[in-house]
This record gives sequence, C-alpha cells and structure tokens, in this order.
Amino acid sequence: MVNFTVDEIRTMMDKKRNIRNMSVIAHVDHGKSTLTDSLVSKAGIIAGARAGETRFTDTRKDEQDRCITIKSTAISMFFELEEKDLVFITNPDQREKNEKGFLINLIDSPGHVDFSSEVTAALRVTDGALVVVDCVSGVCVQTETVLRQAIAERIKPILFMNKMDRALLELQLESEELYQTFQRIVENVNVIIATYSDDSGPMGEVRVDPSKGSVGFGSGLHGWAFTLKQFSEMYADKFKIDLVKLMNRLWGENFFNAKTKKWAKQKDAENKRSFCMYVLDPIYKVFDAIMNFKKDEIESLLKKIGVTLKHEDSDKDGKALLKVVMRSWLPAGEALLQMIAIHLPSPVVAQKYRMEMLYEGPLDDEAAIGIKSCDPEAPLMMYVSKMVPTSDKGRFYAFGRVFSGKVVTGQKARIMGPNFQPGKKEDLYEKTIQRTILMMGRYVEAIEDVPSGNICGLVGVDQFLVKTGTITTFKNAHNMKVMKFSVSPVVRVAVEPKNPADLPKLVEGLKRLAKSDPMVQCINEESGEHIVAGAGELHLEICLKDLEEDHACIPIKKSDPVVSYRETVSEESDQMCLSKSPNKHNRLFMKAQPMPDGLPEDIDEGRVNPRDDFKTRARYLSEKYEYDLTEARKIWCFGPEGTGPNILVDCSKGVQYLNEIKDSVVAGFQWAAKEGVMAEENLRGVRFNIYDVTLHTDAIHRGGGQIIPTTRRCLYACLLTAQPRIMEPVYLCEIQCPEVAVGGIYGVLNRRRGHVFEESQVAGTPMFVVKAYLPVNESFGFTADLRSNTGGQAFPQCVFDHWQVLPGDPCESGSKPFAVVQETRKRKGLKEGLPDLNQYLDKL
Amino acid sequence: MANFATDGQICIERSLRISVFDYIEDISSDFDIPETCLWIKNNKFTKVCLQFPDDLLSISTNIYEEIKKRVDVDLYILGDTSYASCCVDSTAAMHVQANAVVHYGHTCFTKTNIPVYIVLPKKKIDVGKIVETIHKNLKMDNNTNQRCLFYGAEFEHGREALIKMWFQYYPKCYVGVIENEDTKDKVLGRLVKDVSGNVLPVDVLQDCICVYVGLRGQTLFNFTTSVAAKAWFLVDTLTHTLTHSAETTWFKRRHFLVEKCKDANVVGILVCQLSGNQTKDIITRMKQLCQINGKKSYIVSVGKPNVSKLANFPEIDIYVMIACPENDLYDNRDFYKPIVYPYELDVALNCNRQQYFTTHIPDYDQILPGRRYYCDIDHIKEVTDVSLITGKIRETCIPNDRDSGLDVEVKHNWALENIGQTLKARTWQGLEQKFGETEALKAVEGRKGIPLQYSNEPQ
Repeated sequence: MVNFTVDEIRTMMDKKRNIRNMSVIAHVDHGKSTLTDSLVSKAGIIAGARAGETRFTDTRKDEQDRCITIKSTAISMFFELEEKDLVFITNPDQREKNEKGFLINLIDSPGHVDFSSEVTAALRVTDGALVVVDCVSGVCVQTETVLRQAIAERIKPILFMNKMDRALLELQLESEELYQTFQRIVENVNVIIATYSDDSGPMGEVRVDPSKGSVGFGSGLHGWAFTLKQFSEMYADKFKIDLVKLMNRLWGENFFNAKTKKWAKQKDAENKRSFCMYVLDPIYKVFDAIMNFKKDEIESLLKKIGVTLKHEDSDKDGKALLKVVMRSWLPAGEALLQMIAIHLPSPVVAQKYRMEMLYEGPLDDEAAIGIKSCDPEAPLMMYVSKMVPTSDKGRFYAFGRVFSGKVVTGQKARIMGPNFQPGKKEDLYEKTIQRTILMMGRYVEAIEDVPSGNICGLVGVDQFLVKTGTITTFKNAHNMKVMKFSVSPVVRVAVEPKNPADLPKLVEGLKRLAKSDPMVQCINEESGEHIVAGAGELHLEICLKDLEEDHACIPIKKSDPVVSYRETVSEESDQMCLSKSPNKHNRLFMKAQPMPDGLPEDIDEGRVNPRDDFKTRARYLSEKYEYDLTEARKIWCFGPEGTGPNILVDCSKGVQYLNEIKDSVVAGFQWAAKEGVMAEENLRGVRFNIYDVTLHTDAIHRGGGQIIPTTRRCLYACLLTAQPRIMEPVYLCEIQCPEVAVGGIYGVLNRRRGHVFEESQVAGTPMFVVKAYLPVNESFGFTADLRSNTGGQAFPQCVFDHWQVLPGDPCESGSKPFAVVQETRKRKGLKEGLPDLNQYLDKL
Repeated sequence: MANFATDGQICIERSLRISVFDYIEDISSDFDIPETCLWIKNNKFTKVCLQFPDDLLSISTNIYEEIKKRVDVDLYILGDTSYASCCVDSTAAMHVQANAVVHYGHTCFTKTNIPVYIVLPKKKIDVGKIVETIHKNLKMDNNTNQRCLFYGAEFEHGREALIKMWFQYYPKCYVGVIENEDTKDKVLGRLVKDVSGNVLPVDVLQDCICVYVGLRGQTLFNFTTSVAAKAWFLVDTLTHTLTHSAETTWFKRRHFLVEKCKDANVVGILVCQLSGNQTKDIITRMKQLCQINGKKSYIVSVGKPNVSKLANFPEIDIYVMIACPENDLYDNRDFYKPIVYPYELDVALNCNRQQYFTTHIPDYDQILPGRRYYCDIDHIKEVTDVSLITGKIRETCIPNDRDSGLDVEVKHNWALENIGQTLKARTWQGLEQKFGETEALKAVEGRKGIPLQYSNEPQ
C-alpha cells in the first residue's frame, strides 16, 4: 500500500504520459478480484491503512458474501518502475521524462455474464484491459464476449494466466502439457483478437505475446506471478544474452540441449523446450519440494532462487509455506504492474486512436482535437459512464473519464444526455459541478480539479442524467458516443408494493434503480404495471434486492419472471388488404411479408439503419437480400421508434398526393409496429408494402385523422392475413462440467426445449463444454435445476442470443403461442380472445 | 351513455328499444306529470324545454300533450343531445331562450346554469328480496363494521320502502339518498344519511362496506372508483345476487396515464360539455396547470369526439376531456393519443396534490376552487425526474443558472420549440411548386361516382 495525500495524487494526474487506465476483465470465477487484491496490496493508494482486507474492490456486502463481483469498482495505484525497466518503454508518449512513478487507475469488473453491462461501462473509461484466464478452464464464452467488446472499443489487452497453482496441484500437469495449455490459450485469445482487429489498424499490434512480456502467468490467490521478463532477468547475466533476445528464446519452439549447450528449433531426444526447462522446471521443483515435505531440498532451492524466509514463516510447511515462498520469489504485484506500465497505453497514446470511436461530432472541431491530444488546456470533454449511489439516498456520483480539458469543482458546464442533438435543447442542461471527487474502492476523497486522461466522480450532475452522458464546456460540442451493450434486458418481472399505499415509494425507488445500473430497465407499461427488466435471473435478483433494500425501502411483491415477446409473420399476406378511412373516401391497399433471415439482425446492429443514404442502403439490400432495387429505395420508415426491425415500403406507382399522407401513414405504422395486433407486443421482422392508395381530392378529407387510424387498421389486417407468429428470446447457454455430468445436462435441456449444438472437451483438461440454445422463458430456475441434476458440477452461463419463432399458430386455440398470446393479453388488461380480421379489413 | 359513442357507424346502426315502454300504463304517474306542472307553475316559467334521450323520444309527444293540458306554457322538445343525453343540454335550451329544462331518462346529476327538473326513470324493484339478499350474503362480522346502501336513480320511486326495510335490518347503518339540491356533502348526486335523517360527511364511508342496488354499469363503476370505502358490492336487481366490485387494474392504467401527462409537451383540452359556468372554470384551470408546467395547451372542440377527429392533431400528446363523468371514452384504447380526466391532469401537474390516488374524482366540478377536492397550485417543484415510460429525463421548467456564458438559454418556450421541431420533421410541408422537377402530364379522366363504389371499381 502506498500512503498518498490527495495533493500528491493530484500532482501525478498532471503527468498524463505516466497514467494507465485499465480494467480487469474475465469470465466469472477466473479470479479477477483476487488478482486485483494482490495488486492493491502492493500499490493501492489509500488514505490510511486498510491493508489486508480481502476483495477490496467488492464494496457491497452481498458481493463479499457471495464472492461475486456485481458492480465495477475503480481503484488507483501508484507504482515506480526501476531504471532498468524504463528502457522497455520506447514510445515517448508512454512516459514523462524524469518520472519513474506511474498512476494506475484500475477498474475491477464483474465476470458473470448478467453483469456485462458493468464491463462495458468500465471499458469505456479505460484504455487497456488485463484479460484474466483461468488456465484450467481456458478461454470461456464470457472471456470471448468481453475481449471482443474491448477490441471494438479499441482497448489494448494484455493476458494473465491465472490459477497456475491449480494446474500444478490439482491437475498435476506435466510441464510440456502445461506449456501446451498456455500456448493454446494464447492462441485462442489471439484468434479472437485477430477476428475483431488487425495489426495494421490504428492501435498497432494488438495480439498478446509471452515473449514480448505481454502475457503473465501465476496465481492470484497465492499472490505470485511472472512474465518471461522476470525469468530472463534471472538468466540474462548467466547466459550473457541480451534480455530481449532471451525472452524470445524462452517461448515457442525453442529447445535447449543442456549437454551440448546448443539451441534448436526442433524437438529431439536430447533437448528440452526452453520454457519448460528454465521457467517451469524451477517452479515445479519448488512445488515438489515443498508439497512433498523434502526439507533439505527446500533449503537449497530457497538459496538458489534467493528467497530468505522471515522468522515467523519458518515453521510453516505445505501449502502455507509454498504460498510464502512463491510470493517472495515471484511477487505478483511487481510482475503485473510492470506489465501494465510497459504494455498498456497511456491516455496520450490511446486517445489518439480512440477519439474517432468516441466522438460523434466532426473529427476536427475543438473537442475532437482536445480528445485526440489529451490536452488539459482544451475545452472540457468528459464521458459519464455510470452512476454510483452515494450514502445520501437518491443521489449519485456521476462516474466517468475526462478526455479533454479539466473538470473543476464549481465550474459551469453543459450536461448533455444521450438524446441531445447539437443545435437543439432536448437533454441539455447547464449546471455547476458541485464537487469533483476521487473514487477509490469504498472511499471517496474531494479533489479540486481533474485533468484530462483521468477517471473521477462528480457531485451535482446526477439529476440531469439517467445513466450516462457527456459533460463539456465547449458550446458546439457533440455527444460522446453512447455505449453498446452485449447483453439485452430480456427477463422481466412486474413489481408492486405489498402495501398499495407505498406505490409512490416504489416509483421513486424504480427511478433510482434505473440510474444505479447501466443496463436495468424500469418501465411503466401501458397497463400501468411496473416492470423491471434485466439481463438474466441473477441480474434481476440483485436489482430487486437493491430496489427493496436500498432504493424503495418497502416490501415488494414480484410476479414470476416473464419474457417479452415479438410478433411477426411467416408468409406473405394471402390477399390484398384494403382498409377504408372513416369517411370512406380514402383507401389503402397493403400486404405484409416476413423479412429474409438476417435482415432484422442487420437492422438491430445498425448495419441497415434509417440514417443511411437511401441509395447505399438499397444497394446493400438488393445485393444481400435480393430486394427489388427501386422498392428498396422507397423504404418510408423503420419502426417502432423509427429504428426498429420492421419496414414500410412504398411499392405503389403514380399515386397522386401520396407524399402528402406519408407522415400520417408513418405515424400509423409506428403505432402498429409498437403494439402488434395479437398481444400488443412489438413487431419484428415484418415488411409492409403499400401497393395502392386511393385518396380524396380535397386535402381536408385526407388528413391525419382519416389516415392514421386507417393505416393501423390496414396493417393489422395485413398481419392477420400473413400467418402471424410469436417470437421468443433465446439464450446461448454455455455449460462447463466434467464428462460424467454431461448426461444430466442433456436431460435438463430436453425438458426445457433447449437444444445442444456443440459439445467439446476443453483440450488438456477433463472438462467438457456444452453449448446450447435455450428459450429464455424456460431458463427460470435453470441453474438450480442443472446443479441438482449434475450433483452441483455443471455451471451455466446464459446470454441473450437471438429471437426465435415459437412453433405453432397463435390463432389456433390449444397451441403454445395461443396460450402465450392469451396470457399476455390478460396481463395487459386487454380483451381476451383473438383479434377479429373483419374489424380491420374492408371490402370494396 | 349510449349515444356518446366513438363511431358514427354505431349511432346509425343502433336499434332503439321502444318495446320497453309497453308496460307504461299511466304516463302521468310514470313521468311525474303533476309534480312537473306544479314545479313549472310555482316558479312561473314561461318557456320550458323537455329533454329526452333517444329511447324515450317515442313517447315525448304524449308527455308534451299531458303537460300542455295542465299548464299554459311554451314547451319545446329537445332530442339528439349535443354530447350526452344524461347531461342537461342548456345550450340547446338557450337557443329558444327557455327558462327551465325538464330532463327525462338516465341522469348524471351534473350541475347546470339553468333550472332543471329531473324526472327519473322508474324500474320495478322487489325491496324485500333485495335487502334479504344483502342480509344473507353479507354477514356482519362485528358491530364496528358499518354499512351504507346506495341505489340506482331508477329506483328512486321505491326509495321509501327500500330505506325503511334497510333500517329495519341495519338500524345503525347509513343510506345514500338522491338529492337534487346542491350541497357540499353531495357525492355523485347522493347524500349520506343515517336513520334519523342527519346528513353525514362522505368520509364516514371509509370504514363502510357499501352496497349498490342496481345494475352493473357506469354508475356503479363511478361509485367504486371515486368513493373510498372498505369494499363495494353490487346487488343485481334482476338476478338478486351479490357481487364484489373492485377496479384495481383500472387504477393501474390511470396511474400510467398520469405519468403520460407528465411526459406530454402539448395538451389538448377537449371540450365536450358546454352547459354550466364550471366548464369555463375548468378550462381556465387546465390551461393554468399547463402553463405553470411549461406545457402548451390547445382547446379542442370537435363536437362528439371520435378517433378520426382527434387523430387530426397528431402534435397533441394527450387530451384532457371535459365531459360528463358518465362516459366511456376515457377508457377507449382506439384513440391515437390517450384521453384523461381533468382530475388526472391536476394530479400530474399539481405537485401539491398527493400522487397516486386510490380514489378517483370523475366529476371535475369537485376539483374547482371552493369545492371539496380543490388543491391550490402555488409553485412547481424545480426538480428533474426520470420518466419510467420513455426512460428519459423529464423536462420540467428548469431555470438554468443565470448569466450563462455557454449559450444555453432558459427553456421558456420549451413546449413551443418542441412543436416546432416536430413540424420541421414532417416530410410534407405543404404545396410546393417544384418547377422543372415534376413531369408535365396530360389531363386524364379521374374517378367517377360516389365513395361507396366508384365507377372504375369492380363490383
């Protein structure tokens, strides 16, 4: 631990080249928080001595109890690099001259997939990521998800192989096997990196390489770690080889013959892989000696590796001794902090290539240039990535990163929410920043100002932002780009207070909950129900607990989890649908048809979107989906909300006054797309074609009043004649377990309409990975069910993957979709039964 | 409320029940002719309108003649009421400069600015059986549990017998009697009285179990939602059964609409009632509420509202309808934009009022200054709020810090600006000449015939 005053930290903040903002990301239970602890205990900046507490970054009680990280937490560290190590930093923008100290802002993020929104928020404010992989279980689904996100945000990764102690003690892997495991993980990680970026991109080389020192090995739990740099340093003098050259020799297909003292590129009978020989063998020897209580050997070994035991440690043996020895031989903090300082980019370096990904405005305005050069004298640009609850109920710290300029206590700034558009006043406020604060784990410290490149919290802006936003002093500034989450809130429960008189408190609590979590959605539905939507069961459970205990502070009744459905069609309308306006003078002729596979996803992902140039979009649609080029050019709009995965296409020819009613038709389409005909759920993947329109010649008789309701009726008729279907959300579910448990998994999945599409053994381990699609609706209680059927050996990770048609006709009573429709209608207080086509379809 | 329908089609195709009046034996007693004449004479009215709902129009002339026989007075028959036949159509009466109106048929007891004599419809009632049903099904669990009896206006003629019987069974309980005089403690045209005829404030009902004698319909609905009681029960006069009446889902929906009011930028004040001074007052009040909260309001008067009329104003985010509480448009989901009660807008925009009501006030009269549920608006809370409907920060009138150097002006005309933006976003801006851009075409023959079937359309 480092004892620092706020003033000393403030001084460090100005040395922007010596700052590293990084997040720790990994699959759940791969040991992020434990690893972070070992860093914090070495270098954490703390006002006062609070050393020795475990899971330092888990600030909440439930986090400590469950041993799972729920919220991401920031912590600052200070670390001085030795002169000999400084030479490894070659880029002048990575280090201030004559400064050895580094300020490292680390964000520990949750690994459970339900909380990946926290990871997204953490990645936004950092430039580098320490990817932790459990070397026993290898690269898992969440590792891939977060890594992919990191690359997309232009975050530079470094890799750490954790839980080496388990590999040695539990799995008893031979050194060559262990090398192969490491090699495979490095390869897997690099494959993911290569898929989403290339080395010639603006970030330069992104891939991780043990021989460059960007991969660490060790055990967070036992507190030891190393990179090849550590071992090379030990041998460099002995071998009289240059350090960098030696590091290259210690990884990959490099073999050394101890007798002939010759290096080789090929394995033969005499030589041995250098990594095994020089890195793993010494470690194996230490493990072997200590765990098998070979007293004499221990002593000589300790001398060799230069470890002297403290007096109080001399009685220890077995695991306890092993921990002490390894920790003093290869201290984790040292190796990791070196890795971080040397391989992760400083804000100066990172913001150069991240600016265009971060800023929505023109890339040459003052704000853009300020961000690009990380200039503390430029106008302020700060992105608030999340809200952290304060001890003052209902108030929040706005947590974020200063990308340009300085944020100062008492400064006036523009607060721009995600809906702000330049030149308009929506979602724009001008307020004084009451206080600027440093956030360190559980503690906050007031600070006068914070310059660009740093992470901090603000007091007094929370009322003007829901979850995220941009703070600036530049009056022409555009927004910083909103974050894109990898998970969607598909699991929902309806909540109500146990005592109806508590409703105001519940609503107030929901508003606070909505702020406190980057992902959760609190929705007041048309029926008046209050819905809380989260990414998964665990996420919801935590949110509801927070709601009950912290935000609303009242007892709450919650419904069983429900999922939201989508309405779609499976065929083209079997007839031309005609609806007449109330005055009978206007007629609309339309049809509905399903979109080709992939198009709704393209729209979701923004590859096809309403802001595109219509010609480019039409070309894309005609090439990829074989849409008629002229029709594809006449997409009137997307919906619902103007962006959703349904389109309205004008396929008519030579209709008089058609452009005059476009706004009304679009309004009717938005209405119908938001509230479908079957159960008032959103539509998905439906294309509506307007074939002909008859209009009254007098403008007054074809106004919105005539057209809007008629469009809706006509669209409803189109849906009903096009074999309507219900879609349900489906999870991609990855389950890890030993071979014996695989049978149990199949049983559980079959009962729950899940289907397995991949089953494979994790190479080098006895573990199996089963990948399956599981309807979200069937996922409630899945984890518990799976555990009880596999003796607690299987552990699933579910993440929303896609929408899937629920087989069956919702119009046929007795079918599953019919039941879903009726249930939904009932919940929404709609008339039960089926919609009547005659209500919507007119005859000539 | 039958003729307050949303679709003109229904009005045209509706068949009226005329045969119902076969049992009318004595017009004079069934329609209170002597009492009516006495009232006219005593007040020395010279011009009197007789207002009939559609289903009584068939016998309107008989009544006219009966009265004419007894008093010498100018009589006019009013049919096809402007808004709702339960309300007194004072505007129509003013057209002939009448002194008074005699109202026939179902009534909602709303106050008007013209003297009114209400002739209530009369339906058969079996008093003994009714009270027995109540007694059999509603057990008195302990003495503290009070009861109160209400009855539909169509049973007013049997009131004496009903009340007598009721107090025989429950001497310590209350009864809600129909009262024509305008007093403070009136709820939906009723006064709560005990056995000795003392008037009690409405608040006593909070600990009461209330029983309504009549048929399920809008009146019972209004009672259930607007009178706070322990529970509401209905005794059906036809089947003689007792059922519990609760509207929790309805309240949820109304709470949602209150939230929607807060989100709205533009409010349409939909005027569907012209009689009475209080209409003017409530319009002023609604306008004031909108103004204080920085919302733009428009007064919309389109006669009987329907879906297509209201959809002509797509810029309006929500309508507040000033109308007789006994109508079903408030709950209609077919409208492009929802319609709320004046009380709901008041709840949404008046921060002095308690949010999330558990009893509703359908009668806007009650929220006017000097009335029972009036609540002053002295300030607005200057706090921001998250809307759970849109998930956005809700814009209230937030004064930005003064002398701002960063060019964020005070959002005075926030609502107006917003309208401007929506209008700008429209693709159709009006007629444009577009010289040279449109191809010149020869005139072609257009459609012929009537909209029902143009001549070029297939049979």
